[in-house]
Amino acid sequence: MSTTRIILICSGKGGVGKTTTTANLGIALARQGAKTVVLDADFGLRNLDLLLGLENRIVYTAQEVLAETCRLEQALVKHKQEPNLALLPAGNPRMLEWLTPKDMQSIVALLEQQFDYVLIDCPAGIEDGFKNAAAAAREAVVVTTPEVAAVRDADRVIGLLNTQGVTPVQLVLNRVRPKMMSNQEMLSVDDVTDILALPLLGLVFEDEQVIVSTNRGEPLTLNDAASPAAQAYNNIARRLQGEDIPLMDPSKARRGLRARMRNLMQTRIF
Amino acid sequence: MACKQQRFTGMTLTLPDQRARHWQDALADLLDGQTSVSVTVDAGDWVLGCRDLQELLSLLQQEGHVLDRLTSRVPETVVSACSLGLDAALCALDEPLGALDRHPSSESGELLVHQGTLRSGDHLESERSILLYGDVNPGARISSAGDVFVWGRLRGVAHAGCNGSTSARIVALQLRPLQLRIADLVARGPDELPQTGLAEQACLQDGSISIEPAQLQRPPRP
Repeated sequence: MSTTRIILICSGKGGVGKTTTTANLGIALARQGAKTVVLDADFGLRNLDLLLGLENRIVYTAQEVLAETCRLEQALVKHKQEPNLALLPAGNPRMLEWLTPKDMQSIVALLEQQFDYVLIDCPAGIEDGFKNAAAAAREAVVVTTPEVAAVRDADRVIGLLNTQGVTPVQLVLNRVRPKMMSNQEMLSVDDVTDILALPLLGLVFEDEQVIVSTNRGEPLTLNDAASPAAQAYNNIARRLQGEDIPLMDPSKARRGLRARMRNLMQTRIF
Repeated sequence: MACKQQRFTGMTLTLPDQRARHWQDALADLLDGQTSVSVTVDAGDWVLGCRDLQELLSLLQQEGHVLDRLTSRVPETVVSACSLGLDAALCALDEPLGALDRHPSSESGELLVHQGTLRSGDHLESERSILLYGDVNPGARISSAGDVFVWGRLRGVAHAGCNGSTSARIVALQLRPLQLRIADLVARGPDELPQTGLAEQACLQDGSISIEPAQLQRPPRP
């Protein structure tokens, strides 16, 4: 049995950060030395190539690989700065019907021979797109935000993953606003884990830099940015690799200028 | 193929109960007399981190064994094992709903016993009374022609007596439902949070659904 880890990144609800998480985790894992491929299974509305800044390099897709009109190596798009990371776009957005769970399994079987990590970016929803994407996955990361609707949809997805025998399933809580959490204006981390009952792989704080980096096509983890989201994604990648890193505590997140000044005063410079 | 064959001939070591003995102490005894090289380890409810698992691997290696597969009831252990690239599986204490078809819930007369949490979108339905070990999450439904007992938190929709039995009741360790239905009556869940640590039940009283502390005995039929 190969030790390649085939991880589905899914959420149920749209817009919670599946694609952003996939892109950032892909880069972070690659920078940590793991040979990683990100597979965009959301081929109706494909965005992963945009986030990675690889849109203009796509020539072939998995569709052509399966039809044997090109080799796998031709379809894999290597990231320009991070040679350990490759992108495989799943197919042509105009031909939505072609992919079946079986196709997905054969694509992943090909990728498995070359890579340590296969990250599958799952489309939103729980219809065929989800079923295709989940067909080949061995484990899953469920991304959710501290909102009632996102948690509800994540719960549904976890139920479906359980019936498909995908284990382990871990949780990433995205777009956490520590200030709102401490004012109890938002679901707390405990509220979410209480309902979903999954091990928490990481917390990602709301960060404006994510929007900037997304638009630029350079995931935050690409540079050693000090942004909280970049740190969170790096930590998640290291936890995936088996390192034991404590979770961030939202109640201790820096708050404002005063807290930042206090932090600065406490920093040992000499 | 050779590797496949080994898988099935391997012996299973079951780590002792947490309360009885530490697994490291018990390992030598478990390995005593084991002849096959590859072994399967059932880690039970031990929470093992990567470091523990590496220790386990090296202890096995010292005795000349190879870990073939690890099973555990704790997700954390499976996660750490997977991150070390081991073949690990969760043998769930709470079976997922999909397992319902594979292991039919154990029948005991009038009662349907189901293990596992009902997640959003799931719907457990029976002609018999239902005993659920697990939670009913928001968005899930449980309905029975008889009573509904939830050994956990009821946060979804529960329907007891769905064939019209007005003496049916809904009992839960923590009753915070979205909606309760008994026979053909519908009630919204209470807005205030219930007292924790107090099992509650809902039943019909004077034509409406009311919630009260759970009673051990079935109330006498009117």
